[in-house]
Amino acid sequence: MEGAYDEIISDNPFFIEFKNEYSNLFQHCISQSWIICVPRIGSLNTRVFTVEDFCAHVLVPSDELPETHYSTLTEKQVTVANKVITLEVTKGLPLQSHILFEETFYTEDFIKYKVWCVESPLEPNANVGDNAVTKDCLLSINDCIDLLWTQAAGRQVLDQIELNVQQFLKKHSSLPIALAPLRDAVSELYTQCLQSTLQNRRLREKCKVSKHLLENIKLSVECYMQHLLFDSLFKPICTICAYEDSHLNKKIRNMCDIQLRDLDIKKELYHAVPKAKQILSKIVTYNTVLEKVLCLKQALNAINKTDNTNNIVLLTADDLLPVFVFLLIKSGLPNWYSQLKYMKEFRFSGVGNGDGDESAFLITTLEAVIEHIQSGALAGPPNPESYYYETNLTEDNLNYINQRKNSLTESISTCDTNGREETLEYVFDLIKANNSEQVQMLLEKNQKHLESLQQNEKSALKLAENQDYNDEDDDDDDDEGYELEIYQKLCHPLCSCKKCCSKISKNLLKTSPTVSSRDSHGLTPLHVASIHGRANIVEILIDMGAKVNVTDLNECTSLHYSAARGHQNALLLLLHSGASINQTNIDKNTPLHLAVNNGHINCVKALIYFAEHGRKRLQINCTNEHGNTPLHLASKWGYEGIAKLLIENGAEPSLQNRNNKTAFDYAHNFKILQVLKSSTPNLYEYIHITSTDVKTLNCKTDNPVTMKLQNLKVKNNELNNVSKTVENLKRIERIFQAISYGDIKLACFYMNIKYENYINTNNITNRSSCHPLCECQLCKKTHQAVSDYDINFSDTNGLTALHFAARYGLDELCKILILNKANINICNKKGQTPLHLAALNNKTVVIRLLLDNGADINAIDFSGNTPLHDASEVGNIGASKILLNYNPNLNMLNGSDKSAIEVAKEKLHLTIIDLIEKHTNKIK
Amino acid sequence: MTTAPSGTHNFKVVLLGEGCVGKTSILLRYIEDKFNDKHLTTLQATFLNKKLNINGKRINLSIWDTAGQEKFHALGPIYYRNSNGAILVYDITDEDSFGKVKNWVKELKKMLGSDIVLIIAGNKVDLEHERTVPLEEAESYADMVGAKHFYTSAKLNQGVEELFLELTREMVERFEQNTRTDSNRTSRVLVVDDEAPTQSTCCLGYRSN
Repeated sequence: MEGAYDEIISDNPFFIEFKNEYSNLFQHCISQSWIICVPRIGSLNTRVFTVEDFCAHVLVPSDELPETHYSTLTEKQVTVANKVITLEVTKGLPLQSHILFEETFYTEDFIKYKVWCVESPLEPNANVGDNAVTKDCLLSINDCIDLLWTQAAGRQVLDQIELNVQQFLKKHSSLPIALAPLRDAVSELYTQCLQSTLQNRRLREKCKVSKHLLENIKLSVECYMQHLLFDSLFKPICTICAYEDSHLNKKIRNMCDIQLRDLDIKKELYHAVPKAKQILSKIVTYNTVLEKVLCLKQALNAINKTDNTNNIVLLTADDLLPVFVFLLIKSGLPNWYSQLKYMKEFRFSGVGNGDGDESAFLITTLEAVIEHIQSGALAGPPNPESYYYETNLTEDNLNYINQRKNSLTESISTCDTNGREETLEYVFDLIKANNSEQVQMLLEKNQKHLESLQQNEKSALKLAENQDYNDEDDDDDDDEGYELEIYQKLCHPLCSCKKCCSKISKNLLKTSPTVSSRDSHGLTPLHVASIHGRANIVEILIDMGAKVNVTDLNECTSLHYSAARGHQNALLLLLHSGASINQTNIDKNTPLHLAVNNGHINCVKALIYFAEHGRKRLQINCTNEHGNTPLHLASKWGYEGIAKLLIENGAEPSLQNRNNKTAFDYAHNFKILQVLKSSTPNLYEYIHITSTDVKTLNCKTDNPVTMKLQNLKVKNNELNNVSKTVENLKRIERIFQAISYGDIKLACFYMNIKYENYINTNNITNRSSCHPLCECQLCKKTHQAVSDYDINFSDTNGLTALHFAARYGLDELCKILILNKANINICNKKGQTPLHLAALNNKTVVIRLLLDNGADINAIDFSGNTPLHDASEVGNIGASKILLNYNPNLNMLNGSDKSAIEVAKEKLHLTIIDLIEKHTNKIK
Repeated sequence: MTTAPSGTHNFKVVLLGEGCVGKTSILLRYIEDKFNDKHLTTLQATFLNKKLNINGKRINLSIWDTAGQEKFHALGPIYYRNSNGAILVYDITDEDSFGKVKNWVKELKKMLGSDIVLIIAGNKVDLEHERTVPLEEAESYADMVGAKHFYTSAKLNQGVEELFLELTREMVERFEQNTRTDSNRTSRVLVVDDEAPTQSTCCLGYRSN
C-alpha cells in the first residue's frame, strides 16, 4: 500500500558494517540461509556495533517450525507472527518489533539470503533512537492531516494548502470541462501545494533524512488538497464522464437481476458478498483517491474466505473479477465511470513507485470490471424470466429447488414419453428460440384438445347421470369425480411410490399448456414472449386470445417486461392490443418507470407517443413505492435524452420522493442539471394562477419552485375561482394547440375526456337526462363524462377551451365541452364570451349551438359590444342572421354609444343593415 | 520502466495463461507469504510485491495475477499495458493451454513490441507422465519468439524461483539497454534541485504514467 515503509538496506549503517567488518560471519550466515534483521535507519543511535549486536540480529530457523520459530545467534528464542517478531527476554515483558519489509538478496554467485528490515533493534538494552516511529500506513484523510500537523508542528502547512486551493478556485471560477486540461490544472495546483509545504523548514529538514517521510508528506498533501477541492472538482468530472456513465448505467440496470451463480462465482464466497457490497457502496462518501482506493481494497478483502481452521484463504484472480463485477452491478451507484476517472487521473504522488503498485492494481481492476460490463460480454441472466422470483436465493433453497426439480422431472420422464412436449417449460423454450410456428401449432392443438375434452366429458356426463345436476354444479363435480377416481387407485391417499406418482402426474399433465396457462410464478406465454422481445410471437398469442393485462406474481404485466427489457415492437403491439399503460406492479412501478430505469429511450418514446396518439393518459409524474417519478430515475442514472423527453412531456422535476429528494438532488452532473432546469422557466410562462390552492403540487413549501409559484399567484384572480395545478397550466397550451389544428380527439384526450363516449351523441343537440335518476345508456354517458380536468381552466388571456373551440368553429367539441359542464358564458380578459368569438369568426353552427345551450345573447364585453355588435362590425352575415333569430336586444349601446345597426352603418355592411332593419320591422 | 530517485527499479510483471494452469499457485509459491496479517495489509493473491536486491541493484517487483477465464480475455490489454515482464503459464498436460500461450505471445508482441520480457513456463512438471505438450516443441517455440522457457512445479517448488530471478535479470538488462540508448539519443538531463526535489520527481513520474 502507499505509504508503506521503505529504505535502502545497502545504505543502512548497521548492514554496511556487518557486511564489511564482519564479512566472515556475514558470509557464513548467507551460506546457511539465515535471516538477517536490520533495524530501520534512525532506530539505532550508536555508530559502533559489536559482534553481539550482529549476532542478536541473525535468525536461525528452528528444525521443527522453520516458518515461525527462530533462535538468534545469541541463543534467544524468537517467534514470528503477523509480521511481528517477538523476542523472549528473561526478565520483563517480551520485546516486540515489527517487520517493516523483507528484501531478498542475491549475490554475484547467486547465493540467496533474506533481510528483514525491523522497526526497532532486537536487543533489550539497545540504545534506541528517540526518533518516534512514523505511522506505517496512511489510511484516511485524518491520518494525513495528523501527519502534516505533527511533522510541521502546527497548522501553518495546512493553512498554506488551503490558501492555495482557494486561490486556485478563484482563478478557475469555472473548471474546464475536458479531462486533460482539468487534470493539468489540478496537477499544477498539487505541485504548488507541495512546494509551499516544503518551504516549511522543519519539514524540509526531516524529509532530507527520511525518504519514507517525504513520500508520506507528498501523499498527505495530495489527500488534503483533494479533500478541499473535491466538491468543486467532482461535478466537472461527472459531467465529462456523463455519457460513459449513463451508458454504463443502462448496461448495469439491465443486468440488475443477475445472480451470483450466473457469474460462476464459487459458493464459498456467497456469504461475504453482502458485507463487501455494503463496504463498496460507501465509496461515494470518501473524497480522496487514497480513501476510495482503500475502500475498494477493503471491499475485496471482505470476500477473502476463511476455511475450517480459521485460516484466510486468499481470493485468487479467477474469483476476484466475477465477484467485483457482481459487486459493481449491485452497488447501485450511478457514477462508477466518474469514480474510476477520478481515481485514475487525479493520483499524483504515488507515481514514484511506478505503475505497478497496489493502488494501480486496484484501479486497473476496477477499470477492467467496468470495461467488462461495458463490453456487453456479460449478456445478463441466461433465463431472465426466472429472476423475478428467486432474488432471495440462498444456498439452501437453491439445493431444495434443484432437488424438487429433479424429482419432478424424474416422475415426468418415467411416466410419459411425451412429457417434454406437454410442459409449459417446453413452450417457453420454443418462445425463447423464436420458433413461432411451432408455438402456434402446439398451443392451438392443445386448445382444441382441451375444448374437445371438455365437451366430451360434459356430454358423457350428461348422458350417464341423466342430467341430475344443474348446469352450474356440472364442472365441479366432474373434477371431483375424476380426482376421486384417481385417489382410489393409489395405494393410499398420501402414497408417493413411483406407480402412484406417475398416476398423479399423468393427471396433472392432462392440462397441457394453452395460451392462458401460467407457470408456478404466474407467467403466461405472453409474458415470456415479451421478456424475450419476440414480437411475432406476441402477435400470434394476442391473436389467439391471450389476455394482455394478465399479471404474474409480482403483478407485472407483459407490458412491464417488454418495457423493462427495451423491446419496442413487442411494447407497441401490446399497447395497440389494449394493454393498460399506467398499470403498476408490486413495487408500484409503471411500465414507464421500468423503461426509464433501464434506459430504454425507444420504449419511453413509444409509451409517450402512443399515449398522445392513442388518447390515453400517461401519468408521467406517477410515483413508485419509493416515491420516485420516472424523472427521478432518469436523473439518477444520468439518462440525458430520456430526461429531456420526460420534461418535454410535462414531467415535474421538483417533486419529492420518500426521502424528500427531488430529481435535482439526484442529478450528479451538470448536463442532467441543465435539462432539469430547462423545464422550470417554461413553466412560468403558462402560469396563470387564480387561486391560492397549490396543494395538488406534491412538494414542500421550502422548495424553491413552489415559493416562486406562490409569488406568482397574486395576480389575475378576478376571472374564475377554480383551482389549478401546475400540470393544467402546461396542459392547456397543448389543448389550445390541438384545437387550433382542429384535432378534437387529441384535445379531448388532453382534457381527459373520453371522446368515444360522444361519437353517438352527434345527433342530439341539447339533451338532458330523461329524468334525474335515469340510468339509460345515453344519460349514463353524460354523467360519466365529467372528468377530473377542469374544463373552465383559462390561460393568461383568460381564454378557455370553449373560447378556442368557438373561435375555430368546432361545434362537436363545443358540444362535448358543454356536456362536461363548461361555463358557457365565461369571459376572457376582454370580457368576451365564447359567443363573441364565434360571432367574430362567423361560426354559425357554433353560434346556434351556444345559444341553444343558454348562452347569453346580450352579453357585453369590456368595450360594451354584444355578439351582434361584433358580427355587425366585422360584417359576418351568417352570424348576424342567426343571432337575430334569437331575438337580441337591438337597442343596446356599446362603449361608444352605438347600437349594432349604427356599427354596421359605420362600416357600410349593407346586408347586415338590411337584416337588422327587417328584424326590427318584424318585431314591430 | 520507472526508477525511483533512490535507484530502485520498479517492475510490473503480469501472469497470463488459461484458467487452472496454476498461475496463482506459482505466485503464492514464490512469495511464500508467511506473514498472515489479518488486517489491511492482507493482500489478495492477485497482487503481490517482492523486494529483490541483485548484485546491489534494488528491484521492486509488482506481480499482477490475471483471471484466466476465456470471457475475461478481452481485458488483457488493461492489465498488461505498461508492464515490463510477462510470465505465460501453460499446463504441460494440456495442449490447449499451450495454444493459449501462443495467442498471448502474439498479442503481447503486437501491443507492446519488444519492450516486454517474456517468459514461458510449463507448469505441473510433477505430472511428467501425463505430458501432452512435447518438450522440444515448447522450447523451440520459446526460442523462436525470443522468450525464455522454464519448467516449473508449484507443487514441488521446482523452477519457480529460478524463473523469477531470470525474469528480473532480463528486465534489468533490458531497462539498462533502453536508458543507454535513450541517453545517447536525447541526453536527457534530470536536474535534482535541492530546494524542490519533489517537483522534478513529480514531473518524471507524471510523464511515465
